[in-house]
Formats: sequence, C-alpha cells, structure tokens
Amino acid sequence: MISVGIDSGSATTKAVLLNSNKIVASAILPTTFDLLSAAENAYTKVLADAGIDKDCVNGVYATGYGRNSIKFADKTISEITAHSMGVYHLYPNVNGIIDIGGQDSKVISTNGGRVTDFLMNDKCAAGTGKFLEYTAKALEVPIEELGRLALASKEPASITSMCTVFAESEVISLRARGFKKEDIAAGLIESIARRVAIMVRQVGLKQNIAFVGGVAKNAGIKVFLEKELGTSLYVLPEPQITGALGAALYCIN
Amino acid sequence: MTPHFESLDHIKNSYNSRICQIAQERKVGKKIVGTLCLFVPDEIIFAADADRVILCGGKNDTVSIAEQYLPRNICPLVKSSFGSIVNDGCSGVKSCSHFSVIDMIVAENTCDSKKKMYELLGDYIPTYVLDLPQKPDSSEAIKYFLGELNRFKDLMEQLTGNKVTDERLKKEIKSLNEIRQLLHRLYDLRKTDPPLISGLDILKVMQKQYFLSPGEFKKSLLTLIGEVEQVKEDWQHKPRIMISGCPMAGGNTKVSEIIESRGGVIIVEESCTGTRSFWDLVDENKDPMIALAERYIKIPCSCMTPNDRRIDNILELANEFKVDGVVYYTLQFCHGYNIEKYKVQQALKKAGIPMLSIETDYSVSDIEQIGLRVDAFMEMLS
Repeated sequence: MISVGIDSGSATTKAVLLNSNKIVASAILPTTFDLLSAAENAYTKVLADAGIDKDCVNGVYATGYGRNSIKFADKTISEITAHSMGVYHLYPNVNGIIDIGGQDSKVISTNGGRVTDFLMNDKCAAGTGKFLEYTAKALEVPIEELGRLALASKEPASITSMCTVFAESEVISLRARGFKKEDIAAGLIESIARRVAIMVRQVGLKQNIAFVGGVAKNAGIKVFLEKELGTSLYVLPEPQITGALGAALYCIN
Repeated sequence: MTPHFESLDHIKNSYNSRICQIAQERKVGKKIVGTLCLFVPDEIIFAADADRVILCGGKNDTVSIAEQYLPRNICPLVKSSFGSIVNDGCSGVKSCSHFSVIDMIVAENTCDSKKKMYELLGDYIPTYVLDLPQKPDSSEAIKYFLGELNRFKDLMEQLTGNKVTDERLKKEIKSLNEIRQLLHRLYDLRKTDPPLISGLDILKVMQKQYFLSPGEFKKSLLTLIGEVEQVKEDWQHKPRIMISGCPMAGGNTKVSEIIESRGGVIIVEESCTGTRSFWDLVDENKDPMIALAERYIKIPCSCMTPNDRRIDNILELANEFKVDGVVYYTLQFCHGYNIEKYKVQQALKKAGIPMLSIETDYSVSDIEQIGLRVDAFMEMLS
C-alpha cells in the first residue's frame, strides 16, 4: 500500500510518501500564497523521488493549517493527531511532543500514538518560529546562526518581553546598553524555552519528549529547552516531516 | 443531523414582535427593566407588574463603540453590551433597538468590569446595582442578600407604583418554576445518544429566555418540546460535548457552531445560557422572599468564593449527560472563569474526562485556530 501525507504549514509544505509503513521519499518546500500549488509541488516531488506513478498511490491525507485547501487530498486530519502518529512511528516510547512551528507552538501528551491532551499557543508569535525570525533580524544574524551564537554566551541577557514586537525593541535597547550579541541571542532563546516549558508543565510532561517542527532544527534551542526542562529531548534528523508522516500513516491505518 | 424544528423559527424570529409588545406596554404605562445577569430575580420585577429584557450583548459590531469609553482589555460581553446601550446610531453601527426602550437597568456587582461599566451606564439610563455577598456559604451572606432583595423590591414598587405582595410573588415563583421544569424536560431530551436536538438549537432558545416574556417563552418551549419528542434518532453517534464556562449572549454562537460543524454535538451547557439559569427551582412552600434569596445566592458563578458548588455541578452534569469531553469556554479577560479553569481541569482529570480549553472574544479572527483545536479534540475523543 502506497500512501502520501501532506502537511501544509504556515512556513513550509511537507510531503511524505510511504510504502507499507516505510518512508520512501519526503519533501520540504516553502509554502506559497497559493497553498494548493505548494502542496501539488511537494506531492509531485515525492512521486518523482520515489519513481512512482500517481495512479499507484492508494491515498493522500492532508494535515496542517492549510489542510482544507488541499483539494486533491482524500481526507484531512489535524496536525496534532498527525504529529502524534508520526512521532510514535519513529520513537514508540515517546509520550510527549513539543512542536514549534512558524506560527504556533504545541505541546502534546500521547499514549501509544494517541493524543491524550494538548495545548497550543497560536494567539501571538511569542514562543514561535516567527519570534526567532524577527529577533534574528534585529540582531543582524541569519536565523540558522541564532542557536549557535546563543550557545557561545556565558551570561545570557534577560529578555522579559513575550511580545515579539516589544522583544525587538528590548533587543535594540540591550544593544544600546552594550550587551554582547551572543548574550542577547541567548536571552531570546531562553525566553522561548521558558515559555514552552510552562506549556510542557501544564500538560504534565516529564520525560521521553520529542521535539519537532522547523524550530527544532535550531541547535541552540534544543539545548536551552533541555536545560529548562531538566530532561533530554528526542530530535529527529528531519524534525519537520512528522506531521506529513503521521498523515500518511493515518491513511494506511 | 437533527431535524428542523418549526417552533424554533418562531423563537428565532420573535425579536420584532417582542419589541412591539414592549412598545405597547410602555404606552399604557408599564415599566421596562433591563437586566444583565441571572442574579437579578425576575420574580420581583414581574411581581411589581413591570417587564424585563436582557441587555447582554453578544455581537462584535458594538465593541468598537464601547472602546471609545472602556479599556480594550476587558471582556467582550461587557464591551458589546455597553456599546449597544450607548450607540446613538450616528456611528453607522446597528444595534438592537430594545436597548433604547427600557426605563431602568437593574445591575449587579458580579465582576469588576461589569461593576465599573455600570457606573458609566448611569449617565445614560438610571442604573441600580444589586449588591451580592460574595462568600455565599457564610452565615451572614443570606441575611444580607435578603436585605438587598427587599431593597430591590422597594425600588420596583417605587418605579411602578405597584405593591409587591407575597401573593403576587408566589404566583411569579410558580410561573417561573414552570419554565425551569420545562427546560429540564427539554434538556432530558438531550440525554439520549444521539441527542434529539442540537446544541446550537438549544443555545438559540436559551438566548431568548430572558428576552421574551415568560408567557411567550413558555408557550414556545411547550411547542418545541412536543416537536422534539417526536424525533426518531437515526443518526450516528458523535462525541458528546459539555460546554462549561462563560455565557454566550444573544448573537454569539461562534464556538458552538465550530464544535457542531466539526463532528461534535453539544449536549449540555454549564453556563448562564445553560443550566445555571434554570437548574435549581425556587421553594414554593417557604416565605417567598426567603425562598428567592436562598435560590439565587446559590447560582455557582465564578464571582463567588469558594465556588466548589460549581465543580460538583460540572461533575454531576458530566455523569448525568454521559459527556465524552468538556470544552471549557471563556471570554478573554474574564478572570473569574479563566482562573477557575485550573480547578475544573484538575477535577475532570481525576474523573477521567478530557477537557479542551478555548479562550476567545467576539471577533472572527480565530475561527480557524479554534477549529484546529476542536478537530484535534474530536479526533482524540473518537
């Protein structure tokens, strides 16, 4: 059985092609204004990479915030359920997931791949990829470098603003007061880690937690989160695809 | 899908006829009282031969008018209500016309936002604030509340020039108890799986409870119950959802619509537009004023402390209505219900009932975000 999962996220569109529970191909493309065409491109790419004809695909399931725009999908599921299934497939002993994406962050409690509780922050950019994007710009460093820069800090600055816009002005005032770049970066990442840790404690997760979503690629954040939570986190080599993987798995089951 | 109920159309379309009715009443000298809370006993208003309409706003349009006077960061119900009342029509925003046909407002000190908003309202319409003791289980509370109700009774007598007799009070208590019993009957029809009527239909009924006259509301309820009783349950099981938390004032159906369009069915509402409004009856065998004080002080509103009665009630309802999951619904900046969420969540966790928390306002900006949470919650429950 061949199934495809498509995760239409706010920043990137992901696709995973499965052949009987095995990942054959995956794709990560930027999400465009036209959600459908981004999804079509991701779909075409996994088909081409796997060398499989469209007609051989048994089902396509969509997830992510744009899931309802993916007209060619047979069914949609929420990304919360999708991440839970995807992570369980890769790490069966995981009972909690932290997902920090472009426009929201989620903490999910799972049991055997099933969601038992979850919390989301999507009302503002605090604790999301957007927060990092804005503040990296204020620091004049590429976003990919932000984590590494933060790890070099010995004395992280204290950033108290949760609001992305105000955090940016806080960065500017710290800069004016002569703080080092790495200390400001560390302060910013610490503030995200604190924010996410509150959600983790609210859901009641303690250990065996996976960290997924685009922000998990940022090495520094994982370190700061682990310090804040007092436990190590599972990070996949490709942390962005668990939603699409979960959707493809859901299709099979 | 539940069937279409004709009597429901009548309830939904009753707005204009009710306004005409009030206008007629005023012509012959009847006084109209506006209220914004369940704590104000209708029995006393009706016993003085006055009429009442609820003024709680559930629409987003008038929020911006209110923000010229009130801070942004207060609850949308307070802003919407205030905006509707002070709307002079020049703003280009349409608001319900019943706000302009009342003689006085009888308010109450439940939350801070309402309390302070009433001070501003006094500049537009005579506004009286009923003082609620906020530790309802203390020995002095009931005595004090009885005194407050007596002062309110005097006020109604002054406003109308009619004497509020015990006999008249007893008659009104009996009449409103009949409505409460009818609502119990209607809610019983939701206990089956699947329920015989949708939560959205019920919400539209509950939103008219304090708008229509008791006579009209009773008549509509009876016809509706008759219709619902005829329903043959031939549709699939859906996750049975209890809504618990803030009221959904007239015009506000956002979260119920999201839940029921995404696979759930609401089978009970622990809210002011739900069980809190009718669950307990007034004792007909006691001195009427004492009976009223005893019944009303026990409304489990989050302005009261401690409010364990509410937690007990939620657990009872969950059991009685065979709830699969609870959607804890709060309005932004409603500190009382937002803080009580923690206690409710702990109690539900212990009882093994999943809970989803939704905090929102009257805008449409977060429909998709709420939809995602609801989708995930439904997937979790099924």
